[in-house]
Amino acid sequence: MSTTMSTDTYAMTTVGTARAPRSRALNVRRLPGRIVTWIVLVAFAVFSVVPMIWLVLAPSKTADELTSLSPFAFGSFDQYAVAWNNLMLFQDGRLVTWIWNSVWYTATIVFISCATAILAGYALATAPLPFRRTLLMTTLIAMIVPPVALVLPLFIEVTALGIYNTPWAIILTSSFYPFGVFLAYIYFSTSIPKELYEAARIDGAGEFGTFWRVALPLSKGLLGMLAFFSFTATWVNYFLPYVMVTSGEVLPLPVGLGVLFSATPALNPGIGASILPIRQPEIALAGLIVAVPILIVFVASSKLLVRGVLAGSVKS
Amino acid sequence: MARSRIKRMSALSGSLMFAPYLILLVAFGVVPVVMAFFTALKPSMVNPAGGFLNYLVVIQDFRFLPALTNVATFLVIYVPLMVLVVAAMSLLLDAIRSRWTVPLRAAYIVPASISGAVAILVWYFMLEPTYSPYGDLLRAVGITEGSQIWNTGNLVWIFVLMAFFTGAGNWIIVQYGSLQSISDDILEAARIDGANAFQIGLQIKLPLIRRYLIYMSILTFAAGLQIFVEPYLISSTVYPGLADNWSLNQLSYSFAFQSGNLGASAALSLMLLVICIIAALIAIFRTDFFEEARPTTKRSKKAARAAMPAGSAI
Repeated sequence: MSTTMSTDTYAMTTVGTARAPRSRALNVRRLPGRIVTWIVLVAFAVFSVVPMIWLVLAPSKTADELTSLSPFAFGSFDQYAVAWNNLMLFQDGRLVTWIWNSVWYTATIVFISCATAILAGYALATAPLPFRRTLLMTTLIAMIVPPVALVLPLFIEVTALGIYNTPWAIILTSSFYPFGVFLAYIYFSTSIPKELYEAARIDGAGEFGTFWRVALPLSKGLLGMLAFFSFTATWVNYFLPYVMVTSGEVLPLPVGLGVLFSATPALNPGIGASILPIRQPEIALAGLIVAVPILIVFVASSKLLVRGVLAGSVKS
Repeated sequence: MARSRIKRMSALSGSLMFAPYLILLVAFGVVPVVMAFFTALKPSMVNPAGGFLNYLVVIQDFRFLPALTNVATFLVIYVPLMVLVVAAMSLLLDAIRSRWTVPLRAAYIVPASISGAVAILVWYFMLEPTYSPYGDLLRAVGITEGSQIWNTGNLVWIFVLMAFFTGAGNWIIVQYGSLQSISDDILEAARIDGANAFQIGLQIKLPLIRRYLIYMSILTFAAGLQIFVEPYLISSTVYPGLADNWSLNQLSYSFAFQSGNLGASAALSLMLLVICIIAALIAIFRTDFFEEARPTTKRSKKAARAAMPAGSAI
């Protein structure tokens, strides 16, 4: 009840006085609808966070406690360390290699993909490029076709290039970022006034000078957006790296997680008892390490997502 | 004179700036498709003659029809479910106009971090009554162990659940963003005309975001068509063999890495790719979404607002 009241008050203060009398008059009639709305919204929120809460709590418990304690009970902080140490026993700390691989592959991909995308988007928006329409159309198609569709064709190419099973098979193929080009293109053609480029050009800044000194400093929001989508797509990618590399020492973390699934009895008791103490809490911890960076980036950027990719630049 | 020189100079430097991306576009966007096209004509053990017969080999493979049926069923459930829930949830979220949308939105985005291999891990535990927070619920409907759920008949529902869970939140946030851009004047006018919140949602807001919903359903369809990780990981690790060759992409993978028939694999990949390209062309030309992807059009601004990278939905 009080929630409904306070939200209405809030709505009144935010949308202005003109609407205030009406909303108050309708308040009583609207109440059942609002309650149902809130129930649905909150229920969906609970449904959304339950698995993540479970995943965060799981490594705090021992394998036995996982079944005996309540799913939302907290075990102890020490158990996280125990689970980590147990994971380290797997192939002599292979997990650290996987984490490191994921970090540097992702960082390189985010850098290359964002740098090429912002340059190309800028050129598309401002320069009289030859075949501009064709380039734009190809980019749009490439952006809508899911990357998964190209994985097997890329495998054929990567084998022919002789970079199969090297980090470059993942890094180069993942750096192609048509969606980023599209975002940058839209940003530079709508959010920065054309006159600004013209002025800089007439002052003799040159295309690169204009980009570097005028466009780039105005594009922090765009860069954040580009990095966000590039990072979230790359960090969890499974299929492409799975096909591109095969040796344990070059795998990124998500593929390594798949190896843990099949090499330990944690999810598949059928594999039989393992000498290694890698059980459910350990596997949950490994999963948590994959999920947490994405979670942090997503939650931190949810505001950015709402405002759209043109954060702060579109006031329609 | 000076003007045309400036123009030529800027075409040159523009091309230089476009070049690094163009290299990637050609090398990893165009070349693989061309190579796959020629690979798809290569002879194999099953088809020593090679050529376009490889496509027939794929279609006549005994695993093709079941995989096609699985993926089609998956799409028929998944795409409408996404559209309905995302539309409904973003409309509700937009209707409450409260500061509490901030934590709600943060909550909705959480599942996006549970995708791929982690999704398999999490859903294994969610559907296993001894571990699951939903254990009581599962036992109430007579499920005492996960293997009762993980069977062939239920697979499509499980994969829909996983894909929906990972993708919906993201899209709700994005569609909510496009709802926020609807001008207050329009809504106010409707309110003065006596429309209630429900009518405003269905008759004013929904038509205004229709274009984004269509765009979203095309992306969701294209991504769903390519489903691979969930069925592949489940049947290669947790429940061996359960979902072998369940999806078309898995079949393509099997052709390449189990039968060593790269020709058939490339043929199948290309067939799926062609469908995705058709979907992309529909999105570009048949919806008014990218209407004139030309500078300074208002439309393309809005396109960027709701555009999401392909594949992020799954």
